[in-house]
Amino acid sequence: MNADTASNALLDQRLALHPQVALRPEPFGALAYHYGNRKLIFLKHPDVVRVVQALAEGDTLADTLLACDIDPARWPSFERALTALTESEMLHERHQDAPG
Amino acid sequence: MEETTATFDDAAVTSPSSADAVTDELLDDELLVEEISIDGMCGVY
Repeated sequence: MNADTASNALLDQRLALHPQVALRPEPFGALAYHYGNRKLIFLKHPDVVRVVQALAEGDTLADTLLACDIDPARWPSFERALTALTESEMLHERHQDAPG
Repeated sequence: MEETTATFDDAAVTSPSSADAVTDELLDDELLVEEISIDGMCGVY
């Protein structure tokens, strides 16, 4: 799997903030703290905070980036950021709710 | 008296394409998250 394939896979994923993660807004963006693994991550731009908060509302990551009016030229940076958040267990893949 | 001919320094000119390239580089290097190590900070307020 090359970088492009992995990138497309992330854009097609439905992500959500882990329930053990607290997001604390700050002037520069936000602090994200995981009470389970005790990791602390700075979200260094308000736009990435908006995207993370909007993940649960959107469908895929690509849909969320579009809904948040993120310039497509910045999508690679956001993909790297959300990949890092996923690897730190701050974000996890959510599955579509079963109908019924 | 020598006549000096003013030369137009092409390197000083930032063409729109190169400016966009610089902007693209900045966007590509945009660091949006940073993990902070807090190991060993127990008791620090």
